[in-house]
Amino acid sequence: MNDWIFVSIIGRDRPGIVASVSRVLYQNHCNLEDLSQTAIRGQFAMILIASTLKEDVLRGLRTDFQELAKDLSLDINLKIIKPGELAPYDAGESEPFVLTVCGEDRPGLVYGITEVLAERGINITNLDARVALIGGKQEYIQLFEVDIPKGLDLDLIQEKLRKRGQEMGVGVDLQHREIFRAINQI
Amino acid sequence: MLSSEEIIRTVEMLKNENLDVRTVTLGISLRDCVSANAEDLRVRIRRKIQKHAKDLVSACDRISKKYGIPIVNKRLAVTPIAAVAESLGREDYLGVARTLDQAAEEVGVNFIGGYSALVQKGFTKGDRILIDTIPEVLSSTERVCASVNAASTRAGINMDALLLMGQAIKETSLRTAERDGFGCAKLVVFANMPEDNPFMAGAYLGYGEPECVINVGVSGPGVVKKELERALQSGKKLTLGDLSEIIKKTSFRVTRMGELIAREVAQSLEVSFGIVDLSLAPTPTVGDSVGEILQCLGLDSIGVPGSTAALALLNDAVKKGGAFASSSVGGLSGAFLPVSEDLNLSAAVHQGFLSLEKLEAMTAVCSVGLDMIAIPGKVDASTIAAILADEMAIGVVNHKTTAVRLIPVPGKEVGEKAIFGGLFGEAHIMEVRNMNRSSAFVTFGGRIPAPITSINN
Repeated sequence: MNDWIFVSIIGRDRPGIVASVSRVLYQNHCNLEDLSQTAIRGQFAMILIASTLKEDVLRGLRTDFQELAKDLSLDINLKIIKPGELAPYDAGESEPFVLTVCGEDRPGLVYGITEVLAERGINITNLDARVALIGGKQEYIQLFEVDIPKGLDLDLIQEKLRKRGQEMGVGVDLQHREIFRAINQI
Repeated sequence: MLSSEEIIRTVEMLKNENLDVRTVTLGISLRDCVSANAEDLRVRIRRKIQKHAKDLVSACDRISKKYGIPIVNKRLAVTPIAAVAESLGREDYLGVARTLDQAAEEVGVNFIGGYSALVQKGFTKGDRILIDTIPEVLSSTERVCASVNAASTRAGINMDALLLMGQAIKETSLRTAERDGFGCAKLVVFANMPEDNPFMAGAYLGYGEPECVINVGVSGPGVVKKELERALQSGKKLTLGDLSEIIKKTSFRVTRMGELIAREVAQSLEVSFGIVDLSLAPTPTVGDSVGEILQCLGLDSIGVPGSTAALALLNDAVKKGGAFASSSVGGLSGAFLPVSEDLNLSAAVHQGFLSLEKLEAMTAVCSVGLDMIAIPGKVDASTIAAILADEMAIGVVNHKTTAVRLIPVPGKEVGEKAIFGGLFGEAHIMEVRNMNRSSAFVTFGGRIPAPITSINN
């Protein structure tokens, strides 16, 4: 019977983490199905999904990962996932948009914007934030890729986001993803 | 997968570099409106325009918001009225012009092109009537634009037509004297006029075009200029070849954007998508100038020695980038030098850097013609006809489009300004040298034969 295991790993970024994690999986007869990793300001985070055909690997996995966590000062958690939980979030019929928030960084900025999105069931598929040169000035810019369900009134959402942006002193724009692809990709 | 760099660069282009769609032009065929009854013709025209164009503005607004790209102008282009109203009389032509004006206002567009005649080989009765009515039409309507194709590489140059057009330009300017001759801003004389040009005043729907079609003109001088500045500030040693690459890549992006918008508007209106016109079309806004691009390329001002070469580089790079971006490129696709629509050009005239002769030279390598040039009101019709002839010759011999949009400003002289406003800006009046010395040549009349290069089968 197939078991699906979800593992999360966080800790200080350095070489060798992925090697050690995948060694543990291999030694416990687990196959790495999918993974995603990122690092921010020297802190590393990875999530992965592994599968196994062997019975009863969880106990061995937990022990080995606990040891690894102690050795490398990592935070490692795992849990069993039921096959039904493996489907990605289905936004229904939706269109991909890009939301850009531009201006000075301040507390509550991400919350202020994402609250508007959450109210309307708009899912964020990608999120990045950085400082960039816009119009000759250094600006803090947040980029959200979102899925907007087809039934929603785009004008209303754009208006709401713009207004929220004004309240927080930032510029907010919501544009269909296709324009970015058309302009930048061959 | 979009990278953050790609997103940020696109946002920068839109917010700070005047990237927009300059015009979405819906071409509507009036061929099936033709009637021997004037009233019937007018009713059919109005009905057809309403039917196909009623949703143009709202579709453009919606799509503009979806992508965050401004669509500055929505316009219409129709079958040449000389053909559509062919069997009718002079008064009826005026009536059709009023109907076009009215229909354009009803659907919310700011211009309708197609009050046109194609006379490169000779005139029909309808052609003569149309040309004769141009001054009255342009002074009594707001939105109608007129154009006449007086020459082609295949046919040669119709000097009789140029004589008539010289007079038409003068008369139009006199009839709109209280607006500094603004009527002439809605009139263009062409050689090798394209059938799918989305820009005014020369837009019309050609005979081989479909029933309804969307053609789009993008802008972009500001974007090109910013990209060049960025590269120049990077401190790397750059050659003209490198600068050409930068312009090419920028043109790629601009054209891609234009095509995306065009296809979506066409789909929304359930009409064909035609072409993207690659022309860099400036506006009076600071930073959105072809002249400033030339300054980036190291010339003190447009008009100084090197301008023709620089413009050749610019125009070629724009075309290469645009042709890679889209397989549906058409219209004029050249570099516009509309003197009164470009602050930098107008200043160059005033400071003495830019002359009519230099502008004419530049049309040989790239720019589409002598455009939006304010000249003293006293310039005589035969000199104007001779200027037209020179420009036609450049187009005909070089197998390219050239056009002339001259605006004689009644009562004003070199050193003064013509003030038109809006997208049409204002212009310093340009000197026309050697006036009154060409009338014997132009009054020979007839047709200058087609060049030998037109026989190319």
